[in-house]
Amino acid sequence: MYKTEVRGPLILGDKNYRQISSDIIAPIDQPIPTWWKAVFGISMLATLFGIYAMYKTVSEGIGTWGVNNSVGWGWEIINFVWWIGIGHAGTAFSIFLLILRQKWRTSINRAAEAMTVVAVGAAAIFPALHMGRVWLAFFIFPYPNTRGPLWVNFNSPLFWDFIAISAYLLISASFWYYGMVPDFATIRDKTTSKIKKAVYGFFAFGWTGSSREWLRYEALSYVLGGIAAVLVVSVHSIVSTDFAVSVIPGWHTTVFPPYFVVGAIFSGFAMVMTLMIIIRKIYKFQDYVTDSHLNAIAKILIFISLIMGTAYATEIFIAWYSGSQYEMFTFFKNRITGDYTFQFWAMVVCNAFIPQLFWFKKVRQNLTLAFIISLFINLGMWYERFNILITSLSKDYLPSSWTTYSPTWVEVGVYIGTLGIFVSGVLLFFKYIPMIAISEVKSILKVTSINKNDKKHISHE
Amino acid sequence: MNNNHIVGVFDDEDTLMEAVNEVKKNGFEIGEIYTPYPVHEAIEAMGKKSRFTLAAFIYGFLGAAGVLAFMYYTAVIDWPVNYGGKPTNAFPSFIVVTIVITILTVTLASLFTFSVRAQIYPGKAYILPDARSTDDKFVMIFDKALSGSKTGELEGILKEKGAVEVYEKELKPQK
Repeated sequence: MYKTEVRGPLILGDKNYRQISSDIIAPIDQPIPTWWKAVFGISMLATLFGIYAMYKTVSEGIGTWGVNNSVGWGWEIINFVWWIGIGHAGTAFSIFLLILRQKWRTSINRAAEAMTVVAVGAAAIFPALHMGRVWLAFFIFPYPNTRGPLWVNFNSPLFWDFIAISAYLLISASFWYYGMVPDFATIRDKTTSKIKKAVYGFFAFGWTGSSREWLRYEALSYVLGGIAAVLVVSVHSIVSTDFAVSVIPGWHTTVFPPYFVVGAIFSGFAMVMTLMIIIRKIYKFQDYVTDSHLNAIAKILIFISLIMGTAYATEIFIAWYSGSQYEMFTFFKNRITGDYTFQFWAMVVCNAFIPQLFWFKKVRQNLTLAFIISLFINLGMWYERFNILITSLSKDYLPSSWTTYSPTWVEVGVYIGTLGIFVSGVLLFFKYIPMIAISEVKSILKVTSINKNDKKHISHE
Repeated sequence: MNNNHIVGVFDDEDTLMEAVNEVKKNGFEIGEIYTPYPVHEAIEAMGKKSRFTLAAFIYGFLGAAGVLAFMYYTAVIDWPVNYGGKPTNAFPSFIVVTIVITILTVTLASLFTFSVRAQIYPGKAYILPDARSTDDKFVMIFDKALSGSKTGELEGILKEKGAVEVYEKELKPQK
């Protein structure tokens, strides 16, 4: 059993290799449970409602939204940034922890990556709709065209954003997929159903687990891990430059890139925690996703929460220290006090204060509380984006252009639709894909003597 | 049926590695080793090395140079646009796109290289001597023609070193 002095055993219950495969594959072989069908049905309804709202947007135009000349970015960009943030967990988890050789990631990375792919896919809907004429979306590709050729503006953060999001989606999806290939082969070779054998066999791409394959597989995962680590930091930095490069009070600040990246990892980890608590409860994966795993996530959340608190304080300090009356107004009259007081304090309480409860061991061990806190963090992160966008846009330099903003049902509908897409995507993942990376968990099962510096096993470190 | 391969099946990586070292010491050539997860000693014992990192570096270099050249061509040579009097060759703001596209190039090209070098692609006819090796067994195969008259000795070593099963099999690609 792989034991570290800090975390204890990572897999409980004295498993052998065969049990690991069977335990993790079990949900795929079992008939579809009723709760699954019910939740999937509801999420499909939400998706349909979202598709109807998108249809309204496309057929009638952006006028169906509550955005106006002053508040040009409303719920769509809030939700876009929110989903991208959630989508950061997969890469942060698998890649940072892969590079840092953290073995406890093996039980969680698959689910985190699945979540990433679905969340980033959901996020991509918003900027596409925001273009207004979505059927001309291909104009953003720098291809030789008949309009000059007029190329795109490579200096624009909005173009960077397009590049970053599409690259991120492609890369995280392929990283996720290649991680699953050995597990698909395991299902192919274990299943008794002919259909499953054919389907998973196709997706396994002829994987056999020979040394020739493993050699390249490991090399590939380290190359991708190393290179995509940059992406974790760059994607949300680029999203933040959408704001920071403009001259709107409250946005025009250099703290934005790190502030956004940390916020993204924060909401991503919170969502991982939500999801892992659900997975281990429903599928009885307590032996793989142990209390110590959740404990580790909770501790990371405390740390990031402190950074978030520091970032909020920094913003307020700099607003005062800059001596700019517009910055002062935005922070002191339009956030801490003013029309959007509730949203500001909801953000501070949910992100900077509530996660501090994780300092108490009792709270970390109480999974119901941990679950609730993880939901609060994602709520808080939503309010953070609301704060940044709406407060700054609604009251900028000219009082004559001040306005308020509230979403219409169409905007709410698109958001509900993406929630439906996310939940149904995650449910499909629960049912058809091994939720835990089987081959990776096996690789940490037998490293018994890791603490004794036994030379034989050093290479597994 | 032509049983052209000897298959040794092991229960865990330690016994597998003992057997691997022993057969190598006795001068047998291992055909291939199949394991449920990457066993680094087994990969090393097969004596193969990957030059993946070098390939990835070359992809990255070409990607970065290519995208920078492309942006320079479009923004400076082909259609210079005056954005508020800023220089058309806005090198610092080209860097963001360069980084992201470089990463994308490395990823896609590496995946392609992996597909080619490890022979992992959709619809591949694969050779899997023992289907349990993707589950819980560690499998080593030998070409019978290479061991020649010493087949019996080889099977003896495998059994002595803890193989749970040793048998002969004809290996055929399966779909």
